[in-house]
Amino acid sequence: MAEIDTSSKDNSVPFYPVHVSNEAKVVLGVSVVAIVIGLIGLFSPVGLGEPADPMNTPAHVKPEWYFLGLYQLLKYISKTAGAVVPILGVMVITFWPFIDRKPDASTRSYRRRAIGVALFMIILIAMTIWGEVS
Amino acid sequence: MKITFRRTYLVAILGVLMAIFLLIGMTGNSQAGPASPENQPAGDTPIDWDQAQEILSENFHQLLPSKYTAASLPPPEQDPCLHCHITGENKGLWTPLVRWVFFGGAGLIFAFGIYRSSSVWVTRSPWKPILSQTADWFDTRYEISDPLSKFLSKPVPNFARRWWYCLGGITAFLFVVQGLTGIMLAFYYKPTPEQAFSSIQFIETQVNFGSAVRMIHHWSANGMILMCTAHMIRVFIMGAYKKPREFNWISGVLLLMLTLGFGLTGYLLPWDQRAFWATTVATEIGGAIPVIGDLVLVFARVGWDIAAETLTRFYALHILILPLVTIGSMGAHFLMVRRQGIAKPL
Repeated sequence: MAEIDTSSKDNSVPFYPVHVSNEAKVVLGVSVVAIVIGLIGLFSPVGLGEPADPMNTPAHVKPEWYFLGLYQLLKYISKTAGAVVPILGVMVITFWPFIDRKPDASTRSYRRRAIGVALFMIILIAMTIWGEVS
Repeated sequence: MKITFRRTYLVAILGVLMAIFLLIGMTGNSQAGPASPENQPAGDTPIDWDQAQEILSENFHQLLPSKYTAASLPPPEQDPCLHCHITGENKGLWTPLVRWVFFGGAGLIFAFGIYRSSSVWVTRSPWKPILSQTADWFDTRYEISDPLSKFLSKPVPNFARRWWYCLGGITAFLFVVQGLTGIMLAFYYKPTPEQAFSSIQFIETQVNFGSAVRMIHHWSANGMILMCTAHMIRVFIMGAYKKPREFNWISGVLLLMLTLGFGLTGYLLPWDQRAFWATTVATEIGGAIPVIGDLVLVFARVGWDIAAETLTRFYALHILILPLVTIGSMGAHFLMVRRQGIAKPL
């Protein structure tokens, strides 16, 4: 894991044309999906709500879905803690390579991290859904 | 036998031709005498009809056989000149001679030129496609061929061709999609509270394919966050952030934050109730930070409330500052991947 990869010819393909054409297929697929979404948009657009009115607060105010979990957290813990926790979380994630420095010995470490990230994602998704329905 | 072409031959041929030309020209002029109105061709000067009447009545018996009788004045006694012979107005001894010499000489020169240039065809360098010619042209100037082929022939390990390795590439491509559709939307969008809402309405209802472009922009924004997260999870689980790729991980986290920043700033731009209040509560999260919370809030909103300045600031961040920072970070991210190769899984 640690070494810079020096793969020989027999277990690798040249970047061009093999890998480039593979990536081009991915790009083409994503483009097709984007065009289909665009075609759907022709018939049912994203749409707009009421024009913004600072004097009139709607009943259920929600942030964007990717901030929903955080917003829900902020509702139930104190304001200071609710702002410190995500910042600390981002700091931990940013400097994680310097925290977890031991090279992987086996695929068991993969499983450990997979379980960890799955727990984190489940909590995040649950918070998001909770924020959405509440 | 090898015929060598010398310039003197050409000069000689041209000299002979010029001598003939001059000879004929001089004889023509010597017989012509000074130009007078009677010697001018009919077409060049306005016809004096009184004089024509006089000439016609005096010389009618002579002029009768001529084909010019009905139309105009009789042709004056025209002296031979070179161009007359070549164009064939006169028929006599000189005309065919001059024609043969003139056109024949030109033909000989032409045929000789064809013969000579056949050697150019035989000894030509082989044809190359226009693209490789262009590539050669640039390569002789910038010597890009070696580094480029090095770049293109870099081996990609087979383990890195599994589908979960393309999540980052999809994120990058979605960024390109966002750039293109965002430019299209920016042509019509007006970042002021009075016009933002109606300009989006205009895009959705009046602009050709405007609703499709906005739909793609909307959904690939969400897709970009999802793909970014998926890529991050993949890298995390496989431990690809470990030595020597720590900075690549950090640049990736920065890119995720930038993507979320795109989402935050872009969400306000439609300026409807949902956008306004979502941005209100999202910036309130920033305002909850201890010590610097108020500073963050005031910086984000340009004041305590969301107003016209907030919209223009978010617009500038969304279309100018964040894209520039993101492109720079993406460049660093990709360069590090190229330099260090893809992490080998266990």
